[in-house]
Amino acid sequence: MVSAVRAELTKILTLPRVWIATGVVLGLHALVLIQSVRLNAEAVAGITPNGVIEIFTGTPQPAAEAILGLLAASSLQMGLLVPVLAAMIAGQEFRSHQLGVTVLAMPRRGRLIAAKAVATAAYLLLVAVLIAGISTAFMYAAVQDWNPGLLVTGAAFLGHGRFVAFAVLSGLTGFGITVIARSTLVGVIATIAQIAVTMTQALAGAAPALDALLPVSAARNLLLDPGINRLTAGPGHALLVLIAWAGVTTAVAGITLGRRDAR
Amino acid sequence: MIEISQLSKRYGAKTAVEEVSFTARPGRVTGFLGPNGAGKSSTLRVLLGLDAASAGTALVNGMRYRDLRHPLRTVGALLDGAGPVPERRGVDHLTWIAQSNRIPRRRVREVLELVGLDEAARRRVRTYSLGMGQRLGLAAALLGEPEILVLDEPVNGLDPEGIRWIRRFLRDYAAAGRTVLLSSHLMTEMSGTADDVVVINRGRVVTHGSLAQVTAGHHSLEEAFFALTGDPARPGW
Repeated sequence: MVSAVRAELTKILTLPRVWIATGVVLGLHALVLIQSVRLNAEAVAGITPNGVIEIFTGTPQPAAEAILGLLAASSLQMGLLVPVLAAMIAGQEFRSHQLGVTVLAMPRRGRLIAAKAVATAAYLLLVAVLIAGISTAFMYAAVQDWNPGLLVTGAAFLGHGRFVAFAVLSGLTGFGITVIARSTLVGVIATIAQIAVTMTQALAGAAPALDALLPVSAARNLLLDPGINRLTAGPGHALLVLIAWAGVTTAVAGITLGRRDAR
Repeated sequence: MIEISQLSKRYGAKTAVEEVSFTARPGRVTGFLGPNGAGKSSTLRVLLGLDAASAGTALVNGMRYRDLRHPLRTVGALLDGAGPVPERRGVDHLTWIAQSNRIPRRRVREVLELVGLDEAARRRVRTYSLGMGQRLGLAAALLGEPEILVLDEPVNGLDPEGIRWIRRFLRDYAAAGRTVLLSSHLMTEMSGTADDVVVINRGRVVTHGSLAQVTAGHHSLEEAFFALTGDPARPGW
């Protein structure tokens, strides 16, 4: 199993499009955060003596809580693209018939899908940690004169942990969908569709219990501050939903890989 | 040893292979000969675990391919329709394959030199010619120093020097007591390389035996082949 995971990691790390896509995601994240550094710094400068901040005009909040919420939200916005990266990783097998070579090398399909999932999760974990690191660096620029220690508290790390869990689990969902469909494009479209359904908030208003079962809605429920966001479930429920999506799609991907001919 | 027994493969309503049986023995090059679409590649894909058999068995040393622990150390294969991602470098393609079967990294360098790709190893596969792509596939097949080689149309795209090299290589490989199963539709190539021949047409084995047995009564393998597979109702192309 270790050798299979190592081989799959090598596949990921030697594919230029994965590097390019990772660079684009991280670069875009930094670019978006550069725009908000000044606004965040101004909001921090306006923190009242009793620790209240007004990040959104007319919405005063406890400063520490609000800043950590903002930190999680800033990671979440770029974390939504992680499943696209996963789709590109999984989809390489279906280009130029590489799947045939892969199955020749690792014919046991159960072992193969497990190795692929572990390697993909490991790479996405690295990307998620980098996204969280970039978010923290830019937030440090905003809070350094007020309370820089806030970014290394247990609450901050809990927020990062939730984000990393979301990124890896939603990535595995994108990975599973791509393998089931045998198409990178379908994996990417599925990711965009999930984002669109949640961000329109149509389902959240009409059927919140159903909305809470969607992956991107689960991400919001897991990461965002319920004080200023309309959420449809608690973080525990959200984590279970993300685990279920990742588990079911990866398992179905394994079953389809095992039952179909390797074409 | 490769043993194919009563093997059938259907893709939906289409039967690609019907009750195919033959054996490829150690120390011999077995030629698997048939026109395009005869069922050669389908048979090899089932043998190598890529496609599931509809009926029958295909065994390598008495085991299914997928049950081999590190299959590339037992069987090296070059298949049409199984290739590298074009953006990856040749050396990286071989590296992940080697890692998957715990094959030492030095073998990557060795096989690249063996097939004459050492200078092109760091180039992207998309920049390779057809012949270079074939050489890379052959390098992948040889990585695990397997006792069995299964090659599907290995001379496609090779220049005359490459064809001569592969013919000698396969002869030497079998002479060392190893098994070679060579699929091709090129008669002259097969007659210069194979010890045994299996002829397949429209999914069924029409004859098999030593090259001498199959060509007995004919001037050449080509003549024997068309006598066995020819369709008088459809002359020419």
